[in-house]
Amino acid sequence: MQVYLPIAEMPVDPFVVLAMGGAVGFLSGMFGVGGGFLITPLLIFYGIPPAIAVGTQGAQLVASSVSGLTAHLKRKTVDFEMGRFLVIGGGFGSLAGVILFGYLNARGQIDLYIALAYVIFLGIVGALMFAESARAILRDPTKRPARKRTRRGAWMAALPYAMRFRRSQLYISPIPPIVLGFLVGVLSAFMGVGGGFIMVPAMIYILHMPTNVVIGTSLFQIIFVMAITTILHAVANQTVDIVLALLLLAGGVFGAQAGAKAGVLLKAEHLRALLALIVLAVCTRLVFELALPPEEPYVVETL
Amino acid sequence: MRFLAILCALFLAALPARAADIAIALTDDLIKVDAGFSGAKIVLFGALSDADGAVAPKEGPGYDIVAVVRGPGSIFRMRPMLHQDLIWKAGPAIDIGAPELLLTSANRPLDEIASPPLRRALGLGAEAAWIAPGVVAASPKAARYVQETGALSIAESFLEHVRKVGRFREAVGGVKFRKGALFSIDVELAPATPVGDYAVEVFLFRDGALISRDGAKLSVRKVGLEREIYELAHSQPFAYGLGCVIISLIAGWLAAAAFRK
Repeated sequence: MQVYLPIAEMPVDPFVVLAMGGAVGFLSGMFGVGGGFLITPLLIFYGIPPAIAVGTQGAQLVASSVSGLTAHLKRKTVDFEMGRFLVIGGGFGSLAGVILFGYLNARGQIDLYIALAYVIFLGIVGALMFAESARAILRDPTKRPARKRTRRGAWMAALPYAMRFRRSQLYISPIPPIVLGFLVGVLSAFMGVGGGFIMVPAMIYILHMPTNVVIGTSLFQIIFVMAITTILHAVANQTVDIVLALLLLAGGVFGAQAGAKAGVLLKAEHLRALLALIVLAVCTRLVFELALPPEEPYVVETL
Repeated sequence: MRFLAILCALFLAALPARAADIAIALTDDLIKVDAGFSGAKIVLFGALSDADGAVAPKEGPGYDIVAVVRGPGSIFRMRPMLHQDLIWKAGPAIDIGAPELLLTSANRPLDEIASPPLRRALGLGAEAAWIAPGVVAASPKAARYVQETGALSIAESFLEHVRKVGRFREAVGGVKFRKGALFSIDVELAPATPVGDYAVEVFLFRDGALISRDGAKLSVRKVGLEREIYELAHSQPFAYGLGCVIISLIAGWLAAAAFRK
């Protein structure tokens, strides 16, 4: 059976796409990550044009983040004031990312730069996560190192317009969250990722937000920024395929439920080590695709 | 029944014809590309007639039939994959003017039916030498590449690509002779067939000379939901993008509600 994707203008096997959505949903439920950084490479491996894979990913992330956010809203673990500034920065970042995307797309180089961006980010994130989880697994459980509370740098206190963020119990300038939002917005638009893997550590270690509000606030930011990104991609590049997004989503919803149940069976550091290995495997495959001679000597498109 | 009706109509149309004439009709002049589209087969029905009335082509001496489905002229942009600093990247753009689609079906190989100049003039099939003059470098860098590689070699790579994806095809043996002067030709459309309006032409050759031709029109259109989605995405991109976001929001919320404990 085949389903014709109206925007990608190609037939795909719906069960393969459902399975991909399910597999990534399983991982995201198990590890508590968005999974955008795995879906895009999988779609590219399957033969979906990278530009469509990235553009479509936004719609899919809006949906999965809404599912996640409902739980955080009930627990009141979302800092809306902080989220607002992250979204403002993210909106502009997304615009910059979409403009860059359109520029490279017109020059026929978008596929290459998407792949390069993925190699760099998956390589760094995978390696860091693997090193961290390996240390945690090998560490002697009897003597836990006393966690040093890192002190906020003086530069942060020196920034103007400091204001109170009640939910996060912080008194800081809104400039760092705006800048952080901007950087994540660029990545969202260019790579089709939510950016949680950068946002969450940055919120904890740079903004010093309490851990319990970090995930909810990150999801809040992802929904808005991915919504903006999806509309911008639809307008500027016509690369959002709603049929593809819905297929991925349908698979992802069930995968995530199964993944969340499977996740509790493993220890946290083992989970992280496993995820790191998956990330590094995808990264390696992308490196091979870039380094090995291509199957076709030419890329052909119809003008 | 439709098949019979077409045959009868053709037979009647062919009777009062001039010396050795050809006439065709299509079973379908509209190909619908919908959710399940994975290629299609169109059947051309045709009839031959001679000065003495209908003749069976297989009995006639040296008759050949060629059917061509041709798309409007289009520009293909090719970028060579170049090895640069450890990775392979797409190089400078080279534009090639060629029909969007070019499918031929004949009773024997085209080069046995007509001479190259005649084939080229009628647009029967494609050869690298015919495509090469249409190779245009889009930049000075591309011009250097074209000079180094040769337009002919680029045209050969182009033909290899379009034949692989099914945009160009030269099929032999697609012509079936039926009763008397009637024949049918099968033309396969690949899943990657672009939407558009195509001209269908049938040529009758005798001993290497064109003696008659007839034409018809064929449309390949997106239909149903696919068409509406595609058209909305291109004519009203903002509304489409907003719609995608709203659908995603609802889908995500529904998923959360469905699995809430």
